[in-house]
Amino acid sequence: MNQDLNLAGSVSTPAIQSDWQAGRLCMQGDSYPENSYELFGPVIGWVEAYLAQESRPLELCLELVYLNTSSVKVMMDIFDLLEEAYQGGRRVEVVWHYDARNDRIAELAEEFKEDCSYPFVIRAMEVAP
Amino acid sequence: MNQRERELLEEVADLLAIEEYRGHRLHSALQRLYRRHLAQQERLERLVTIADGFQKGAQQDLQETRQQLERQHRRQHKLSRIADGFQDLLHERNQALRDVSRQDPLTGLANRRCLHERLEGLTVGTARQSGTLSLVMLDIDHFKAVNDRHGHVTGDRVLVTLAKHLMGSLRQHDMCGRWGGEEFLLVLPETPLDKAHLLVQRLTDQLRGLRIPADGDTLSVFITASAGIAEWQPGEGYQATIERADRALLAAKRQGRDRCCLAEA
Repeated sequence: MNQDLNLAGSVSTPAIQSDWQAGRLCMQGDSYPENSYELFGPVIGWVEAYLAQESRPLELCLELVYLNTSSVKVMMDIFDLLEEAYQGGRRVEVVWHYDARNDRIAELAEEFKEDCSYPFVIRAMEVAP
Repeated sequence: MNQRERELLEEVADLLAIEEYRGHRLHSALQRLYRRHLAQQERLERLVTIADGFQKGAQQDLQETRQQLERQHRRQHKLSRIADGFQDLLHERNQALRDVSRQDPLTGLANRRCLHERLEGLTVGTARQSGTLSLVMLDIDHFKAVNDRHGHVTGDRVLVTLAKHLMGSLRQHDMCGRWGGEEFLLVLPETPLDKAHLLVQRLTDQLRGLRIPADGDTLSVFITASAGIAEWQPGEGYQATIERADRALLAAKRQGRDRCCLAEA
């Protein structure tokens, strides 16, 4: 499968773009979907397929703000997939951008990072007011 | 196999090896018994080895299950911790939105929505305790002229200065909000009309002394204000008290401004 995802975000779902060619998956916004399996199933599927079919690096760039519990679980699942690939010698990286005015997000991103041994960057982003 | 068993087997083997016993009737029986014993012994040892293997496997499984459980437990813990963090974040965000929705962005005073909420509760409490409550509608005189002559930046500065002054002069339980435009509402709990009158007079007197810089600090603007005061009456809705205060304010304006008028009950 190398069909890329390009989902416009909504009030309760993040915008999601995948780029198989570039080896990049990006998500931005709030995430409290009614059905997180339906929303994130294809995302997990994309990551699994990319990691299985390619040997190139994978970069995950996130600008997530609010996550409900099921979305937190999905993110942990994705980070676990990356950890497994990294342990198998793959180059993977996560960059999590957050609004510099909201450093609580950075603290939560730090918590996600805890068990990840691959590069996981948490970067403040200056946003025009 | 212990020492005694081993010695017994050796003894039997030695006896069976002696040439002169070969023809004896017991020799063949003992020899069969001896071989059977050795075969049984071997089976027993194999059985033990197999059983041990199973036990070892079961133990490994148990160990793995335990580790798996521990991992899941840690994961679950992490999940709840992060989810709780986001929950707190949402709560704070709601709180901040709530604060913003109740505040006048320019002066930081309570806005009309907030005043309504407070008055709703306050009149109920005052009625229950047979207390007093006065409302003051205060309006800056000739504010439009300040805006027209010195621009809106100066006009905004006048509003902010007045707001600060009001907040600084009120007592702890008093409340002040921006009713709209250049109109402010003061809420004075536990205050009858005559006391409210004194308080407002003192306030408007001080107001005349406020110097507000204008036109790039080259000159100063001075302001006066008119006010209408009404004391809440038992059984009256606060909206009606506000209307009476508003009519008293109108009277103060008509009588030449820079003064305060009291509303009749």
